[in-house]
Amino acid sequence: MRKYILKRVLYMLLTLFLIATITFFLMKLLPGTPYQNQDKMSASQIHMMNVQYGLNKPVWQQYLIYIFGMVHGNLGISFQFSSQPVSYLIATRIGPSLQLGIQAMIVGSILGILLGAIAAIRKNTWADTLATLLAILGMSIPNFVFAVLLQYILGFKLKLFPIALWDNFSSSILPTIALAMMPLAETARFMRTEMIDVLNSDYIMLARAKGLTQAGVVWHHALRNSLIPVITLAGPLAVNLMTGSMVVENIFSIPGIGEQFVKSITTNDYPTIMGVTMVYSLMLVVVILIVDILYGIIDPRIRLSGSEVNA
Amino acid sequence: MWKQVKKIGLVAAAGVMVVPLAGGVSTAKAASLAKNQTFKMMVPTELTSMDNSKTTDLYAATIQNNTGEGLYRLTSKNKAVPALAKSVVKSTNNGLQYTFHLRHSKWSNGTPVTAQDFVYSWQRTVTPKTSSQYAFLFEGIKNAAAIADGKKQPSELGVKAIDDYTLQVTMEKPVPYFDLLMANPTFFPQNKKVVEKYGSEYGTTSAKQVYNGPFKLTKWNGTNLKWTLVKNKDYWDKRKVKLNKIQYQTVKDPSTALNLYQSGDLDDVTLSSEMAKQSANNKDKVIRKMASTFYLEYNQKKIPAFKNKKIRQAISLTINRQKLAKDVLSDGSTAAKGYVPEGLANDPKNGKDFSAEAQGAAEKAAVAYNMKKAKKLWAEGKKEVGIKKLNVELMGDDKDSSKKILEYMQNSMEKLPGLKVTNQNLPFKTRLSRSVDGKFDMVMTAWNGDFGDPITFMDLLTSTNSYNNGKWRNASYDKNVSASKNANAANPDARWQNLLDAENTLMTEQGVAPVYQQNEFHLVNSKVKGIVYHQTGASYDYKTTYIAK
Repeated sequence: MRKYILKRVLYMLLTLFLIATITFFLMKLLPGTPYQNQDKMSASQIHMMNVQYGLNKPVWQQYLIYIFGMVHGNLGISFQFSSQPVSYLIATRIGPSLQLGIQAMIVGSILGILLGAIAAIRKNTWADTLATLLAILGMSIPNFVFAVLLQYILGFKLKLFPIALWDNFSSSILPTIALAMMPLAETARFMRTEMIDVLNSDYIMLARAKGLTQAGVVWHHALRNSLIPVITLAGPLAVNLMTGSMVVENIFSIPGIGEQFVKSITTNDYPTIMGVTMVYSLMLVVVILIVDILYGIIDPRIRLSGSEVNA
Repeated sequence: MWKQVKKIGLVAAAGVMVVPLAGGVSTAKAASLAKNQTFKMMVPTELTSMDNSKTTDLYAATIQNNTGEGLYRLTSKNKAVPALAKSVVKSTNNGLQYTFHLRHSKWSNGTPVTAQDFVYSWQRTVTPKTSSQYAFLFEGIKNAAAIADGKKQPSELGVKAIDDYTLQVTMEKPVPYFDLLMANPTFFPQNKKVVEKYGSEYGTTSAKQVYNGPFKLTKWNGTNLKWTLVKNKDYWDKRKVKLNKIQYQTVKDPSTALNLYQSGDLDDVTLSSEMAKQSANNKDKVIRKMASTFYLEYNQKKIPAFKNKKIRQAISLTINRQKLAKDVLSDGSTAAKGYVPEGLANDPKNGKDFSAEAQGAAEKAAVAYNMKKAKKLWAEGKKEVGIKKLNVELMGDDKDSSKKILEYMQNSMEKLPGLKVTNQNLPFKTRLSRSVDGKFDMVMTAWNGDFGDPITFMDLLTSTNSYNNGKWRNASYDKNVSASKNANAANPDARWQNLLDAENTLMTEQGVAPVYQQNEFHLVNSKVKGIVYHQTGASYDYKTTYIAK
C-alpha cells in the first residue's frame, strides 16, 4: 500500500508540473496587459511597467522564473490587489470556499445516499417517485436559481436566515443548501440504480434465504456494495463544487476564491491565475487519490497491483 | 434705507447659500441628528489597495478621500476649497508656480503632517519603480514626464518643501485644472516613515498605513468584502464630521443588494439593469451621473468610406439614443448629448455645465434620431464616395449589456440601404488591443474622465493622440484643443471657449458618434443627508454627511 501511494504521489507531482506548464503558456496567449488602467496608458508607459514587472522578458524566461519561485513557495504578487502576495490572497479567501464545499459535500452525499437507498428499497412507490423527482429537480435547476429562491423566501420574506453576508455559521446555511442540491441529486440517482442492481443480485437472495431481516440485508450487504460507484462520483462532484461555487458566493456575498479565479483571467492577473489554478489542481489530485484509497477500504478486491492482496 | 436693508438681506441670504456650497458643508443642527450616526454603504467591488501611489479606481479613491486629506477638497460643483492648504492659492509666474501654506495637522500616529510628506508622496508616485498607473496625472509638473520615463531622477520633480509648512510646486507649463488635481487622492501626502516601515506591504491592510482625513479605515485585511471607516479623533476639522461609522460591504449581485436595501441592512446600494428597471419608481432612487461616455469610433484608416462626413453623420442619425438608454439599458444611463458628459465640468465664469453650454442647434441635430435625414445623407455620401453598399463589422465588449446595445445599433444602422453590419463581441482586453492596433471597422468604446475638466475627454481625439483609434483628423479641432492647453492655458474664459468650439466641431463632423452617458442607479436611504458626489477623482465625500432623525 505504501509503495502504491508513493507512486501515486510522484504521478501527482508530474501532473501538477504539466498543468503549471500548460496553463502558463496558454495564459500568455491572452491579449492585453494586467494593468487596470491599460486603456489610459501610452505604449511607452506600458513598456516601462512591463520592465518593472519583468513582463518584457521572453516567455520561456518568465516561465523559468515563475517555476523557480513556485518551487520555493513564492506565487508572486497580485495585479488586481496591488502589492498583495497571491499566497496571502488565496490563504484569506479559500477558507469560506472550502467550508462551503465541504459542508455541501457532506450534506449532499449523506442525504443523497439516504434518498437513493429509500427510493431503491421502496421501488415504484410514492417514496421512489418523490425521490426521483427531487433528484431531477436538483440536477436540472442550476444552483444559483436555488440560491436566489432560498435567499428571497427563507432570508428576505421569512427572515429565518441572513439574506447574505458572511458573519457566522448561520450565514453559511443557505449557500450550503444551494450548493448541496447538485451532489444530492447526483448521489441519489446513482445510489438508486446501484442499490436496485445489488438488491437483485444472487448473494442478497442468499442472505435473504438465510433469514436475514430486510434491515440487516440493506445495512450489511447492499449499502456497502452500492457505495463504490457513488464514491467514484465524489471526485468530480468535489471539483464541481470548487469551481462552481462562484455564482453562489457572489449571491451571498461570501469572500471566497471562486470569483477571484474568474476575475483574474479577465484581468490578465497572471500570478493569481497561476496560483489559483495550482491550488485547484492540487485539491483535485488529492481528492482523486483519496477516492482511490477509499475504494480499497470499501472493496478489498480493488486493492491494486503493487500492494499485497490479503485474500 | 429700506432698499439698503433689503440689499444686505439679499447678500446675507446669498452668503448662507454660498457657505454650504463653498465649504461642501451642510450644517446640520444637533437636534435633527439621529442618535446612531452609522452609514451602511454598498460597493460592487473589493477595496484592492490603499496605497494612493498605486490605485486608479473610483472605489479606492473614495476611501482614500475620506481617510486622507490633501491640499483641497471639492464642493459638489467641483470648486476647490481649502483643506490642508490654508487657502486656495493663485498661481504666480504666469501659471508656473504655486506656493501653499499648510495648516498644522496630525497623522493618526501622532506625527505632524508636513510639506515634506507631499514631496515624498509625489516623488514616490512618479518614480518608475513604484509602477503607478496614474503617474501621467502629474504631467505638467516640472520634470514629471521625464522622471516617469526614467530620464530624470525623482528628486528633480518640481515640488519643494520650503519649510515644514510651506510647499512650492513648479510647473513645466500651466495646467488649467491644477486645483482639481490637488483635491485628487493621487496627490495626497504620505508619511515617509510609515511607507518605509511597511515597504511593499504599505497600504495592503488597514493597520499598515496612517490616516489624516475625517475617518480612519479599520477591519480591512486586504482581501475581505467588508471594512469600516470610523471617525478620526485627530482630524483637524473633526468638528464638522457627524458620522461615527461608515460600514462598507461588497455586494456583487444586484438582487442581493436590493434585498439587503429593502430589509434595512444597507443605506445606499448600486443596482444594475434588471433590478434598476424594477426599482424605476422607487422614491429613494438617485441617479449618479458618471464621467463616462460610450461612443462609436469609425476606423477611417481601414474603411475609406468613413472619411466621408455624410456617411458618418448618416450612421449616427439612425441611432435612437433615448430609446437605447431607456429601454435597452434602463440603468439610469442617458442619451449622450455630446462627447463631454453632462455634469463633468462647469464654466469658470458662470458655473454652467459644459455639456449644457455646448448644446447649440447643430450639436442637438447631430445626435438626434432622424431616419429620413439619415437616409438622405447616406445616399449622398455613397454617391460622393462612389460605393453602392458597405459591409462593416461593429466591435464591442462581451458583457450582456454590450451585446444588447450592439444588437440594437446593428438593427438601426441596417435600415440604411446597402449597409450590412456584423457584430463582434469580444472580451474587454481583446477589444482594447484590437482598437489600439486599428483592427476594427467600427467600435463601441468608452472613456472615463480623470478630472472635472473637458480636456480629459477632448485631448483624446486630436490627430496625434495615441487613443484616437479611428484616426479622425480635423485641423480646427486640433487648433482649439492646443490653444486651450497652451496659448490660453492661463486665460480661463478664452480657454473655455476653445473647448466649446472643439466640441462643436467634433459634433457637427461626427468624428466619433457619442451614444450614451453611463450613469449609476442608486437607492439611498432618505435619512442620509449631505453626501457630496463627484463624477471624477473620488466619487464621494462623507466629511459632512449625517443621518437625520
